[in-house]
Amino acid sequence: MARLGMVIDLRRCIGCNACTIACKQEHGTPEDVHFARVVTREVGTYPATRRTFLPVLCNHCADAPCVEVCPSGASYIRADGIVLVDREKCIGCRACAVACPYMNRHFLERGLLRHGYNGDGLSVLEAVKFAEFEEGTMIKCNLCAHRVDQGLEPACVVTCPTECRFFGDLEPEAGRLQSLIRDHGGKPLLPECNTRPSIYYLDGEPRQA
Amino acid sequence: MSATDPLPYAIAPHRFAVGFTRQTWWNWRIGAAFFFGEIGAGLFLVSLVTGQALGMAVGYLIVVVGKNTAHLLYLGRPARFWRAALRPDRSWIARGIWATGLFAISGFTLLLPKFAGIELPIAGWGQPLAPAVAAASALFIMFYDGLVMKASPAIPFWNSALLPVLCLTYATLGGATLSLMLTTLQGGMPPPALERLEHWLLVANAWLLAIYILRMSRLEPAARQTVHLLLRGRYRRAFLGLVLLVGMVATLLLSLAQGHVEATALAVVVAACELVGDFTLLMVLLKSGLYSPQTAPRSH
Repeated sequence: MARLGMVIDLRRCIGCNACTIACKQEHGTPEDVHFARVVTREVGTYPATRRTFLPVLCNHCADAPCVEVCPSGASYIRADGIVLVDREKCIGCRACAVACPYMNRHFLERGLLRHGYNGDGLSVLEAVKFAEFEEGTMIKCNLCAHRVDQGLEPACVVTCPTECRFFGDLEPEAGRLQSLIRDHGGKPLLPECNTRPSIYYLDGEPRQA
Repeated sequence: MSATDPLPYAIAPHRFAVGFTRQTWWNWRIGAAFFFGEIGAGLFLVSLVTGQALGMAVGYLIVVVGKNTAHLLYLGRPARFWRAALRPDRSWIARGIWATGLFAISGFTLLLPKFAGIELPIAGWGQPLAPAVAAASALFIMFYDGLVMKASPAIPFWNSALLPVLCLTYATLGGATLSLMLTTLQGGMPPPALERLEHWLLVANAWLLAIYILRMSRLEPAARQTVHLLLRGRYRRAFLGLVLLVGMVATLLLSLAQGHVEATALAVVVAACELVGDFTLLMVLLKSGLYSPQTAPRSH
């Protein structure tokens, strides 16, 4: 059984937020809803300062706490490991958002889908994309499941100008993602939460044989 | 990691910055639902034990009307509320829905004969079963909020087995205080045992809360930051003033005086002080919940 995931090489990320924009364009999410974003941190003391970038998205955890706490069964894990929300079943209790350590769930407040970014009604794109959402329910990154089903990679992966994102199946030990994780010491975010994320990050130098 | 270590991050100003992030999903409506559930079920259970029919009815209404209304007002899709009961195998929310349903049915079968004089045609084994189910479901409602919060691994301050215990003792205290108030308002003499229970519960709550805060102040940074918010930061006035001073110290002193002075108004003031402390504690627990910062993991 496949377990889709991603490896992000932080040494390559330049914090351009192209992934953030590509995701917005692909999903047409409303104002202030970002499935993919780049978290920025300033480190060091003047004048020896620099900024570090951490691209984040739903971690599509194998032991997803959002799925565990969902009382209606709206949150579920697909056979290929993608964590999804069935909007028809979601009651808007927001327990999943509280339980997600990575803060990658978004609630569609009432009225949010009635006005667009410009505040003067919906644009053509918004009218089409917003029809896929429902106010009063949760939405989240679906790892571009609609693209994956067509054999394509997620929008954030294909748009990255530095090619720091690697998408694929985490399961085969000899696969590309496992090799990257093994050879470069890849690690997930907040491993202490025991959620078994499917997004890994590379930061260090390649291991010497 | 010790309580005196400096905290490595501040509260993040937005979702694109690294730092502690406040939990804003569960707001005052959930706080009200938890509060009504705790004090209503607490009052029902205490009244069931002491045989006070009015207390049972008031507690029943607080849970069935107050708690459920607050929950429905909170839900994004209230018309689908029934779906919340579908996963009792994994979700504490679903288990809570089942307990509330059982409480509503069993409580109704107990209260109907007392107030409407209608005896329900329950089979022989059903007679002792109804109070047992009502008591068990009320007990569950009293502490399951703590389990709902504890089930969120994302917020370290809530991730403690002490939280359901704290909810249970606070619910029992709220029930005992309201029961005493209702007895006084009806012109009766409050049972001395219930008064003693109230005093001991106040002391026990203070002790549990102190242990809770002390334990959290020695855990990971997000829990320590919450302790900082409660004792020195944004919520210090609410926590120190309303939870500790009004909800505990004033309640204890006034309830001790209550034993010497027969005044109905004093019983109301004691109950009001306790309830203010109880509700404020739930609200500050919800509002001060922090997510841990997401930082780039070091590979080696």
